[in-house]
Amino acid sequence: MSGGRCTTAETPPATTALPASDLGFGVGLRTPHLRHVLTHWPPVDWFEIISENFTDSGGFPRHALDRIAERYPVVMHGVSLSIGSTDPLDFDYLRRLRRLADDIGARWISDHICWTGVAGLNTHDLLPVPFTEEALAHMVHRVRAVQDFLQRPLVLENPSSYVEFTHSEMSEWEFVSRLATESGCGLLLDVNNVYVSSVNHGFDPEQYVRALPHERVVQIHLAGHTHLGTHVIDTHDQPVADPVWRLYRLATSLTGPVATLLEWDDHIPAFPELLAELDKARRHSAAPGRTHARVSCG
Amino acid sequence: MASPTGTLADTQHWLQRAILDPARPEPQAVGAVLTDSATLSAHQRLDIYRRGYRLRLLETMRGLHPGLRALLGPELFDDFALDYLDARPSHSYTLFHLDARFAEHLAAHRPDRGLPTARREGWVDVLVDLARYERAFTEVHDSPGPASVPFLRVLRCCAPVHAYHAAVLHGLPTEPPVPGPPVHLALSRRDYAVVTSELEPDAYRLLCERFPERHVPLPSAFPE
Repeated sequence: MSGGRCTTAETPPATTALPASDLGFGVGLRTPHLRHVLTHWPPVDWFEIISENFTDSGGFPRHALDRIAERYPVVMHGVSLSIGSTDPLDFDYLRRLRRLADDIGARWISDHICWTGVAGLNTHDLLPVPFTEEALAHMVHRVRAVQDFLQRPLVLENPSSYVEFTHSEMSEWEFVSRLATESGCGLLLDVNNVYVSSVNHGFDPEQYVRALPHERVVQIHLAGHTHLGTHVIDTHDQPVADPVWRLYRLATSLTGPVATLLEWDDHIPAFPELLAELDKARRHSAAPGRTHARVSCG
Repeated sequence: MASPTGTLADTQHWLQRAILDPARPEPQAVGAVLTDSATLSAHQRLDIYRRGYRLRLLETMRGLHPGLRALLGPELFDDFALDYLDARPSHSYTLFHLDARFAEHLAAHRPDRGLPTARREGWVDVLVDLARYERAFTEVHDSPGPASVPFLRVLRCCAPVHAYHAAVLHGLPTEPPVPGPPVHLALSRRDYAVVTSELEPDAYRLLCERFPERHVPLPSAFPE
């Protein structure tokens, strides 16, 4: 455990001024699409990468990313920061993140409100934290340390979850809101994850979305899920479901224009199908502002 | 496994053990930490993470070792990979290193490991060498090699595992590699593609001496 209870009265460090977030509509950049993107320069406003797929890359994926970053805004989305872990922060990993962000001019760096391992292990899963004052203070302290090291604001995503802890002391939306306001981080609101967790834990997803500090939402994630009858799994392997589109419309009515990103990680379709799903996001968005894809010029 | 005493660190160490340990924890311990939902018990909810952990890493191992999976068959490959993952869980922030010690693990757990080298089964040597080759292939494909030296891996194998791997990658019919005279291989990257070349023994020795850090050693159970 690090740090004491933080309060909203504390001023977040200067490095946490949130980035301009209206990038428009983007998709997750995945390996099967690299050659298509390099060949067609499709009409997408921006791309998000999985940071760890490129921090140690020197082959074709990194070559492709460098070319793509010359033409499109790129955001880095990580899965190994483990901001909620009680292990020490991994500064070698953070150094690699910072170097990659500098190399490609990343608009911001995001990860998840979770932990991925302790005792030096990495489960490569986004494990849930108990929603306690202790966990909140611990994460606020670490977010500030990471933001100072990276010299840029950190953006954190609400993960989907399948368990709840008997000793949680507050709702997930209270925990997420306080983490953002007390640490100064931005929020990546994954409306699919809100829906998945709402089914698994039996809460009202609209209450969750309404309760967040909307001015701190920098980005929204959309994705598909799989309903197994007794619970829902965040599979990213199919189109966005109708209840998630309704949450997206509610979220954008509250946040105004923020960067929207479609994730698709399994059974990945051809790029034109991905674009068609992204067009649905343009139609469902309740935020005024840009609704048309950028035209790549070169 | 006892339930944690209540701190965040205790909770995390308990949950990680509950997910990684092949044996399921006692229901009472799970119920003390995790809640039931309207449709699933705490134990069933924990099982989602236990299954997800293994499936996610198994998928990665399958992707890293298409040749070995074809040679062993999907079920036996999964058994070997899960045994490896249980024995050597990941310590890295990236999945790129997930199979870094797979060949070493296979060599250390070969069924004939108690026998003198000359009496060991040749087909096990082929499995280990194919795992070594596929690891080297991954490293050459995407590692950030130093700008001044062409990216390179050199290794000696007991069979033409590279030809088998290439056939599997291209979906071509092929026979399993058969142990025979040593095959000396160099893997390099040209125009972002991995190129594998067979070397004469002298050229192999020369490259090993010139670039010792590029040599893929045999596991300790295999005297070079």
